[in-house]
Amino acid sequence: MTPLERAEAKFGWKLVAPTILILGLLILYPLMYNVYLSFFDVQLNGYKTFVGFENYMKLLSNTDYYSAIGTTSLYLLGTVVGTTLLGLAMALLLKEPFKGRGLVNAAIMLPYVAPVISVVFGWQFLFDPISGVVNYLFVDVLGVWSERTNLIGNPDSALWVVVLFDIWKHAPIAYLLILSKLVSISGDQYEAAAIDGYGPVGRFFHVTLPELYFVLATVVLLRLIWNLNRFEDVYLLAPNVQTLPIFTYYQAFTGVIDQGLAAATSVIQLAVLSVFIWFYIKKIMKW
Amino acid sequence: MIGKRTITGRIGFALAVLLLVSFSLLPFAQILSTSLKHQYDWGNPSLIPQTINLDAYKELLGLTEAKKVEIPAAIQKILNNPKLPQDKKDAIAAKYMSNDNLFPFGKYMLNSVIFSVGAATFSLVFSVMGAYSISRLRFKGQVVIQRSVLFVYMVGGVLLMVPLYQMAMNIGLASSLWGSAFCLFLIYIVQTLPVGMYMLGNYFRGIPFALEEAAMMDGCSRKEAIIKVVLPLSLPMLATVFIYCFIIGWNEYLFASVFLKQYPEFHTLPLALQELFVSKNAIWDRIMAASMLTLAPIVICFLFASRFMKGGKTDGGVKG
Repeated sequence: MTPLERAEAKFGWKLVAPTILILGLLILYPLMYNVYLSFFDVQLNGYKTFVGFENYMKLLSNTDYYSAIGTTSLYLLGTVVGTTLLGLAMALLLKEPFKGRGLVNAAIMLPYVAPVISVVFGWQFLFDPISGVVNYLFVDVLGVWSERTNLIGNPDSALWVVVLFDIWKHAPIAYLLILSKLVSISGDQYEAAAIDGYGPVGRFFHVTLPELYFVLATVVLLRLIWNLNRFEDVYLLAPNVQTLPIFTYYQAFTGVIDQGLAAATSVIQLAVLSVFIWFYIKKIMKW
Repeated sequence: MIGKRTITGRIGFALAVLLLVSFSLLPFAQILSTSLKHQYDWGNPSLIPQTINLDAYKELLGLTEAKKVEIPAAIQKILNNPKLPQDKKDAIAAKYMSNDNLFPFGKYMLNSVIFSVGAATFSLVFSVMGAYSISRLRFKGQVVIQRSVLFVYMVGGVLLMVPLYQMAMNIGLASSLWGSAFCLFLIYIVQTLPVGMYMLGNYFRGIPFALEEAAMMDGCSRKEAIIKVVLPLSLPMLATVFIYCFIIGWNEYLFASVFLKQYPEFHTLPLALQELFVSKNAIWDRIMAASMLTLAPIVICFLFASRFMKGGKTDGGVKG
């Protein structure tokens, strides 16, 4: 190492030190501490007693936990498929420049940046059984349903409202990712496919989809990673839909508080999440 | 995909775009519409209010004059009883005079501003330093740090709420008002720092090194080269990162509810709005007006930042 290199390394460490300190203390350490807590019976006031694997045993024999896993799986399936398909459709639709595209882009990005707490009230009102437009549409105008129903009040139907909400909010991100790849596909490939006799549909399946394969995989993986931990969007819109994060929150802070059990839930969830993240870093980032 | 040359193709395209934009904007239109409607008008599916009602906004922004509250006759009789000591009289009167419906929106907004602007500022400073270090300087362990930041970036708050709460409890911070606020402030920095570092790191890599080199040849130290060359070149990105961090803080609910629920005077907007909604004196027009006012700063920031957001936002893992 030359003195110059050594000076550079020293400077590099100095600059990154505060970040390492903060992230280490408030993310990496808590993650490990969480594993430690999962072996204790933890009170809200910090009082702990060692219980070994009891929290895990309790968790694995809890039917609510399995139903939370089921709800989370449905939530992930619905949001991942919905967001990716809508994002793809949006990218295909808005690919070519047209007048007013900037405005359209701003409008469709708005759901993504808007505070969850504000927009959930708009959604709650839309689905309100008395005043909501959804019930008006399906009962009074189309006559599909025979009577007004409280879709958010019933956990089974609320799950699909929450899925639709997530698609509405996060399709713009999928759209941006897919669009940036879509515009980079060269026109030559489409011409070549046209000469080979493919129509618009054939060109989509033989040129566009194979080119988009990688970015679609990225979108799917990112949706899985973010939505596995999704809390606010679900809890604030429909607190009765118990996905894993909501289940954990209820265990940790409401009713019969059992923070040790919540810690055990988080440990298992982190293990699953780590697999997704590892996959993302290895396969997508190629580090 | 759709042939835009034919008339039907054009109409189909326009309809599809219209449908998409309506789907995106409908909930916003609903919030705006309900916030301006009188109560008798709520059940009306039309988005246009029959008459505009600004009372909800006036009330939230404190523009209505304090209403003179009528004290019931029976209570007035007690108050007129000369045997009752004056301080007891005052206490009873205060109970009836106080306006329970009051929702101190301005205070909550100020809390939100302090938390999110403060955290975004710290986060920006640290992420400039960290991002420059991992994207520009070579040293051992750099790759490990880079990967750890990405990993940490993707770990959600839900996995951290129990251990962070317990840590705060152990060192005694969670049981006091200022301690809780301090914890929340630190957590907001941590929640935004990896995003900032990630976005800025990608941006710094795109700035040609020759520019810094030239500055250093002219006798600048590395530090001066960063301040005089790299930062001015990155201004749009710095603004974007700041706004991005600000939005994350402004929208955060989970940790605010864990740490601040029992301290109403420190509630941030998301927490306050949720509390207002579950309390039984929730009134749709008030809720919607409050939602509108919570939205407004974000929409303004977004419109301002969207000009710069094209590059940075699509690079790899965008939060959310």
